[in-house]
Amino acid sequence: MITAKRAAVPASKTNTSDLALQKVGVQAGKVTAFALLLFGSIVFFLPLYMSVTMALKKPLDFSTSSSWAWPKEATLKNFGDVLSNPNVPFTHLFWNTVAIASFSTMGVLLSASLVAYAFARINFAGRDRLFIVMLSTMMLPGIATMIPTYILFTQLHWVNTFLPLTVPAFLGGGAFNIFLLRQFFLGIPRELDEAARLDGAGHWLIFTRVILPLSGPVLATVGIFCFIYNWRDFMGPLIYLNDIDKQTLELGLSTYNSLHQQQWQLLMAASVLATIPLVVMFFLGQRYFVKGLAITGLK
Amino acid sequence: MKSVVGPLRWIALIVFALGLVLHAAADPITLRFAIWDGDEALKVLRSEAHKFEEAHPGVTVHLENTDYKIYFQKLLTQYAARTAPDVAMLDPQNYQQFAKRGALLKLDPMIAETPGFDLSAYYKEIVVAMQWRKELYVLPRDIAPIGLIYYNKELFKEAGLDLPDGSWTWDYKPRPELGSKCFTYCMQKLTKFKADGSVERWGFAPSWQGAITDTFAYSTGSRYCNDPPEAFTRMTMDDPNVIKTFDFVANLANKEHWMPSTSELTSVAQSTAVDLFISRRAAMYQCGIWDVAHIRAAVKPGTKEFFDWDITLAPGHIDPKTGKVIKAWPTGGSGYGIMSSTEHPKEAWELVQWMGGPHAMKALAQAGIGQPAIHSLAIGPDWIPGPNTPIEQRYPASRIVTDQAIPYVVFPATADYWSEVSSLAFAKAEPVYAGTRLAKDALVDGNNMANARLNAMLHKQKLPDYNWKSGTALGILIVGALCLWIWYPELKKKHTAGQKRETRIGYLFLTPWIIGTLTLTLGPMILSLLMSFADWDIIMPAKWAGLGNYREAFFEDPRFWNSFKITILYTAISVPAGIIIALALALLLNQKIKGMPIFRTFFYIPTLVSLVATSLLWMKIFQPTGGLLNTLMFGAKGTGGLGHYIGVNGQAPNWLGDERLSLSAMMIMSLWGVGGAMVILLAGLQGVPDVYYEAATLDGASMWRRFKAVTVPLLSPALFFTMVTGMIGAVQVFIQPFVMTQGGPNNSTRFLMVHIYDEGFANLRMGYASSLAWILFVVILGVTIAQFRLNKLVHYEGDVR
Repeated sequence: MITAKRAAVPASKTNTSDLALQKVGVQAGKVTAFALLLFGSIVFFLPLYMSVTMALKKPLDFSTSSSWAWPKEATLKNFGDVLSNPNVPFTHLFWNTVAIASFSTMGVLLSASLVAYAFARINFAGRDRLFIVMLSTMMLPGIATMIPTYILFTQLHWVNTFLPLTVPAFLGGGAFNIFLLRQFFLGIPRELDEAARLDGAGHWLIFTRVILPLSGPVLATVGIFCFIYNWRDFMGPLIYLNDIDKQTLELGLSTYNSLHQQQWQLLMAASVLATIPLVVMFFLGQRYFVKGLAITGLK
Repeated sequence: MKSVVGPLRWIALIVFALGLVLHAAADPITLRFAIWDGDEALKVLRSEAHKFEEAHPGVTVHLENTDYKIYFQKLLTQYAARTAPDVAMLDPQNYQQFAKRGALLKLDPMIAETPGFDLSAYYKEIVVAMQWRKELYVLPRDIAPIGLIYYNKELFKEAGLDLPDGSWTWDYKPRPELGSKCFTYCMQKLTKFKADGSVERWGFAPSWQGAITDTFAYSTGSRYCNDPPEAFTRMTMDDPNVIKTFDFVANLANKEHWMPSTSELTSVAQSTAVDLFISRRAAMYQCGIWDVAHIRAAVKPGTKEFFDWDITLAPGHIDPKTGKVIKAWPTGGSGYGIMSSTEHPKEAWELVQWMGGPHAMKALAQAGIGQPAIHSLAIGPDWIPGPNTPIEQRYPASRIVTDQAIPYVVFPATADYWSEVSSLAFAKAEPVYAGTRLAKDALVDGNNMANARLNAMLHKQKLPDYNWKSGTALGILIVGALCLWIWYPELKKKHTAGQKRETRIGYLFLTPWIIGTLTLTLGPMILSLLMSFADWDIIMPAKWAGLGNYREAFFEDPRFWNSFKITILYTAISVPAGIIIALALALLLNQKIKGMPIFRTFFYIPTLVSLVATSLLWMKIFQPTGGLLNTLMFGAKGTGGLGHYIGVNGQAPNWLGDERLSLSAMMIMSLWGVGGAMVILLAGLQGVPDVYYEAATLDGASMWRRFKAVTVPLLSPALFFTMVTGMIGAVQVFIQPFVMTQGGPNNSTRFLMVHIYDEGFANLRMGYASSLAWILFVVILGVTIAQFRLNKLVHYEGDVR
């Protein structure tokens, strides 16, 4: 309502020539922005472009042409080799990776949002200091806790299963995700909670009916981050998964870059195949955090 | 009582029956077999494992392949949890660490009990290399002398040189009177310059600089440590001959240009040298036998890429005193050992015999992968091509030189501290190759560092066993103090019934996190803290070191301070720069422009590509000659463009190989990954209601004012988040320096995490690594708390403070 009042006053002041000028300015701004974006996207598209050119090359092309030049005779053979190599069973690894990444993402979205809500909205005893403790769990280098954690999972007989890579996601979802969600929950105006509270809603209702529906973008962000993180994780699968038919794509890829045999064309072909699903997912998923918070409904 | 015993008896019976069933199910023995091989070798081993299973009914073999770089980390972790594989591939560099600590079974007793097994059939050189204190722990499968020179016959003819027969020698100056008997002269003759003075073709390219330096240095009769190699007491890299050799090799590359310099032969992209040979840009090439398959595939008879090539022995050196020719070269190899944690030593020994014996060795030889460790096989038809060999497998024809090379092999010292001590000296030697330091200074410096470390190791006091009672007490104390710190202020407050209910509900929401922390996170964290007071090598029980680790970190470890410094520098520059770029991108991407979803996706791509592939891509981008970055900056020739403005002494900058540039290269690389922060900021921007902007615009606010008054405050929670997590992430940067530079050159990218990893898993000092990790923890915590003070500036829309 305040907005409406404000809007009414300057509108009368603005004359038409100003408006035209502003329009030209906006157009010029848009063109500059477009040019910047175009330049930037070329730079940021390079890794995928280079991966593709290398994936289309024959082994010898690596010594005779630059790494970014399009191969003279592009070949799709590498993709076929990658998909049919029994040493690195690609489709098998693909589904393993999908399973691990999906389950962890589900776990993180469920548990991290709960925990983040508590830190953002519930005024419980010891909250602020406990938050620091929670954050501190991401400050100790993983190398220091790697062996104790591994021993723990061994005792549970979880090694060589997907459990060490998925179950922890359901138990808190990691400091990074909790922190990110908390930051965004804090940004949601309290008036909304108060209104719900006046209607008799408790925390559970506020969480599920007020906060979550307003958190689409950040939930999508956390979901995508988490999925990608697990998709590309190396150290976790490395120590917990032994058998080749239980491993993930990222681990399988490293077979093409071994001590005495580097098959760059195959590594890149496999990498392209492993990246495309993520690109598609990001492309489709981004419209969720583009929509924006429905906060505007408040005014 | 009866009522309890009754059901108990039944339960016991069921458990017993279940045990029987499980036991029966587990009866077919499974052997876990850990290796680090590539695609080709894997194919062979897979089929050999299958044949082994057929020959041994009831035994199944599980191949567990891991990349060499992280192979030992995984093996150690598994051993610590007593889940190590039964049989593991090992090499002369690394098995000592395991043998010394009893993690490997002794093979001699097994050999004694195996009728018909003849260890003398193996090359005795590799057998000795696999013996630690006279006991054999690893059955060799292949031996790999690096003293092989691959040469292009056509280029030799073109230069008017006779083909080398392996009887050649090298000297500090070319000796034309010897013709092709002088290796140095061959290098000179085979090098071809373009009209503008740049190199068209190098006479010689080593697979890595160390290969030729070691070969030259060893052939002057020098070694890098004193005798005996199984218990050396001094590094001798300050030997005048060694110093002279390092300078000689550096000059060959940087002054004479007869061989590629570090910038042309990037140590990071391993196969640059072989590519030079294949594309005829180098006439000779030094490596082990393992590159044969690669060259064969690239230089196929009948194609236009083909040229006639062969291998010969690396040159020897004439001893000025005796006039005799001395030959010696660095050598590798591998074999199989049995982990002492195995439950099936008998079957494991069977597998070792199969894989490290004639069966698998023949198959590997036929595939051209490794020179058999059994002498008769190495001179037999499986390895040496004969008249019936198909044409494409006939190259190289003189494969017999692999056998002739054996008497001159030099293995890494068998002392278990060799790799830890020598790596200190080798890291210091890297600037010599880059031409930035003289060998005299660099090697003496590195040698002193290595000897200081060696002395500390040799004179280490015997430490008492870890006192688990006081350790546990300390752990409990810490948890107690932590709880007190969290909740003590609350105890003093008076809580209303409403507040108590809030607290109850709060902890109910926290339940998943509390369970996770108590079961999975807290225990390992406390254990690692306890280990920071221990001397723990992962394999043996921990010893009590008190504050010794912390004292070492602060006062006795120069590399720690170096790592600390570069990590802070990297964080201080890359985090703010990254946030600014991410914010700019997010603002750009937040507009209503056509095709925006595509743009957004493009900017996120670098964070989607696999890390292994990304590291390789960056090596290609940073490659000094023909790399993308230098081509863009200086043109294809490497002299134009920005070259006029940036002083690079006529040489294209070697981003990853020059210690003055490598850290900047890492920072540049980090900026490519701003996609994550960009997405978070974008999500934050989307949360800024349009009406705020409209209102501000109508109030006549300029773009800058709108940015300052609306965007920044409303975005501050997201900005704050990217700052805190960006800092935590940057301080812990690891994978890329680990994969791309291994901390070099001259420790210039040895970030704290690389140092911690190296101390923990390469030097087996997990106690010390833990103490470093905890120092890092305290630093990060301190900075984060300081950042939270800034939190007051953060504007939370939903805050009621």
